[in-house]
Amino acid sequence: MFDYPIFEMPVLGHRLIFAIDAILHVLISHGAAVGGSIVLALTQWYAIKTNDQKLYDLTYKILFVMFIAATAIGALAGIGIWIHANIIDPPAIGSLLRVFFWKWFTEWIVFNVELIFLLAWFLTWKTYGWEKRTQNLKFGIVYAVSSWLTMVIITAILGFMLTPGNWLKSDFPAQPDYVASLFNPGWIPSLMFRTFFAIGFAAAISMYWTWWFTRNDLALREKAERWFGRIVLATIPMTIIFGLWYYAQIPQEAKSLMFVAGLTTKYIGHKEMLIIALLGAFALILVAVFAFYLKPKAVPFALASLMMVSYVFLVAEFERIREFVRKPYIIYGYMYAHGIRNSDVAHLNNVGVLKYASFVPQQYRTITEENKVKVGEYLFKLECRVCHSVDGVNAITKKVKGLDENAIYHRIGALNSPATPFMPPFVGTDEERKALAAYLATLVEQKQTQTAVNK
Amino acid sequence: MNNPNNPIFPYLPHDIPLPLPTGGMDALLIPVFHILLVVSFLVHIIFINVLLGSSVLSVINNWIGHLKNDKNYDKVAYLLTTPVTISENMGALWGVAPLLIVSVMYTAFFYSASVMNSPQWLHIIWGNVVAFLISYLYKFSWHKLEDHKALHITIGAIAAILFLSLPPVFMSTVQLYVTPSTWTPNTHFWDVVSRPDVLFRLAHFYLGAFAVNGMFMLLYGVYKKSKGQDLEAANILIRQGKAWFLVPTVLNLFVGTLAFFQFPNYGIESFYSKGFEVFIIIAVISVLGAIAILLKEFFNDNISPKHAYLAAGLLLVTLISMGITRHGMRVSLLEPAIAQMQKQTQEYLAAVEKDYKEAKTKPVGISVAEAANLSEGEKLVAKNGCTACHAVDTKIVGPAFKEVAKKGYTPDRIVKLIYQPEPSNWPGYTPMPPMANVPKDEAEKIAKWITELK
Repeated sequence: MFDYPIFEMPVLGHRLIFAIDAILHVLISHGAAVGGSIVLALTQWYAIKTNDQKLYDLTYKILFVMFIAATAIGALAGIGIWIHANIIDPPAIGSLLRVFFWKWFTEWIVFNVELIFLLAWFLTWKTYGWEKRTQNLKFGIVYAVSSWLTMVIITAILGFMLTPGNWLKSDFPAQPDYVASLFNPGWIPSLMFRTFFAIGFAAAISMYWTWWFTRNDLALREKAERWFGRIVLATIPMTIIFGLWYYAQIPQEAKSLMFVAGLTTKYIGHKEMLIIALLGAFALILVAVFAFYLKPKAVPFALASLMMVSYVFLVAEFERIREFVRKPYIIYGYMYAHGIRNSDVAHLNNVGVLKYASFVPQQYRTITEENKVKVGEYLFKLECRVCHSVDGVNAITKKVKGLDENAIYHRIGALNSPATPFMPPFVGTDEERKALAAYLATLVEQKQTQTAVNK
Repeated sequence: MNNPNNPIFPYLPHDIPLPLPTGGMDALLIPVFHILLVVSFLVHIIFINVLLGSSVLSVINNWIGHLKNDKNYDKVAYLLTTPVTISENMGALWGVAPLLIVSVMYTAFFYSASVMNSPQWLHIIWGNVVAFLISYLYKFSWHKLEDHKALHITIGAIAAILFLSLPPVFMSTVQLYVTPSTWTPNTHFWDVVSRPDVLFRLAHFYLGAFAVNGMFMLLYGVYKKSKGQDLEAANILIRQGKAWFLVPTVLNLFVGTLAFFQFPNYGIESFYSKGFEVFIIIAVISVLGAIAILLKEFFNDNISPKHAYLAAGLLLVTLISMGITRHGMRVSLLEPAIAQMQKQTQEYLAAVEKDYKEAKTKPVGISVAEAANLSEGEKLVAKNGCTACHAVDTKIVGPAFKEVAKKGYTPDRIVKLIYQPEPSNWPGYTPMPPMANVPKDEAEKIAKWITELK
């Protein structure tokens, strides 16, 4: 980070823009692509098997929604994860690419198959019609298989970020072990967990849209809702079993961050809130699915919507926790969230980060009494802005409120302490630490003057 | 600023300190990367050309059909929405492969340029998503909005304009990453997008997009005709295709030349010294051939498929040669920068290794001798992170432990306060977060230690 150009995302901060894109991608890739392809191909098969043209047409309507979501939003948001990562933490995504290039390249080839067969499935559904239904189903099956294969590969990379295992053969020069990094301990359990979760989620989405598309055909609603409901129920025990296996693979330090990850530091005093929220969402899903199963004609649209909201909440909360518990690292045990590697720390503490901060103007790369506030601002941009905005989301002004320069200086020296184990350490010389403290202290003063003026 | 033969790059980050993913087979795989990059980018750009051209031409023909009340133009407009759907999807997908290869071969260059052009760079995602959705709306509302043509044409125009707004963002980043000699700490998107080198390349790109799409329309028309479908619409596609190919292509002979000479001198010199100009010559000769064929057949709606395919084949030769030219310029521009970056990175890593190994030999944290002198309470507050904010004697973030002792709390009360602080007891201080991480037995020992402080 410290040697790259600097860009600031005003108000939203880097983390939030990344989170919006990533969660959008996960919702659609799981719900519409991986899960959706499997659920809809199964449903098309079921419609053919039971010789039910109405269900066949309903499947197309749901596919239409999922096609739009997957191609226009899901796929682009997936590329977006990369684009966002490369402007927010270039050394991290650059490192992942060096280790996983061929896996990503393979994924891209599979992705070609996926997209071509999705286009074929969707665009020929109507032109083939009921007569050539089995031919059309073949496209759907290839799409479902290739869609799942892309998940196989991407979970290896996600698993690696949290549970890398012994992936470095040597530190100097850094030499990755490509096989060990692929077969990281989190890979298979997280893959199976996500697969079953995605199928359940997609079936729930289908239940939601079925309600909408069968407003005038309650007989069709009964059959379709029961069918999708059965799929959701079948996935739940599998999701739980693989979820527990996945949980067992996570490092102990990361597990201890689970509550703060789910609740933010603000509400960490109320651990029960997280458990109530998660169990509540889960219970709501169960209630809705059983209601649909037992009395498909009587379920109100509001309950179908609540079930969707619960699923979305579970996805968002899971991804937030997964991203957060990795802290203070971006690649566990190798690179901190601010893009500085563990092995860089000793050297940078000796000579300072400014020495290598190519994109900090020359006059701010040596600290003097006059420029130290400005230098501190640059240091903030180099090491803190990945997670903290100045005055917006996760604002640094709130974290230093009421502190004087000396207090801030001490606080910076103990960032990666048990009080805030999710913070990476400040890296740099003592002089740089003082400059950062001086800058942050001016923010406190500004805030106080502002409040005084407002009063 | 720069000596053309020995350029200096004052602002360069380090390279990623991991080897290229060749598994040691650099000699074999590096050329493969180069070939994959050129080929995948070419496929990407052809899809994107068709996407841009067909989005615009669908709207134009929709409008002509509405004005002339001619169903054939409406048919052409509708036919063109299928290549739009296919090429927006395939175009995005085939953009991923070059992105992947560029990100691994030219990591620090591409990422630096992306950061400098941000947050505008994100338009290629979010602008694209919106453009996609509106173009689907345009396609799938065709029959529903048949009687509301003004609205329908407006929707199509918005989608087309949004798609056309993406290339300036792409071009700024692409041109910026291959010209690291122009980087400064203040380089930002709006300066880059208005640079002459970017503008000329952009003009060249837009013209090329319409030319390639013109060739596509010609082939589409010829194909429809050979199948005996939609004969009038096929004629319109053939006529428009020829015109849209010829005019932008002729203009591009001039714009392309001007664009070429906007590159930094050292890059152009290196480009010639590597012999890449051969590909420019091939590109020009074959495109002149394509122009000649279509000029001859300009007024012939029944152009023989053979001639159309020959022209398309010649255009493909041009596109491949230009793809290689483009890559040649990239290699020429980045070669000295990569050499400088690798040298800097090696020096940096050597220093890092030395300090890392030195630090390993030193004892970490509190030395054994010191630890022997610490009371158990002092060790526990250090271990649990309390010392980030509290010292024994002095105020840091929170009050000194001795100040806390003066309040006269019972040990039980202090344990409670560790888990559930009451900031109202300490007005003027930063509120303390609940310290759920402290184990119960250690909290009790800490509390006892505080009450005994004097």
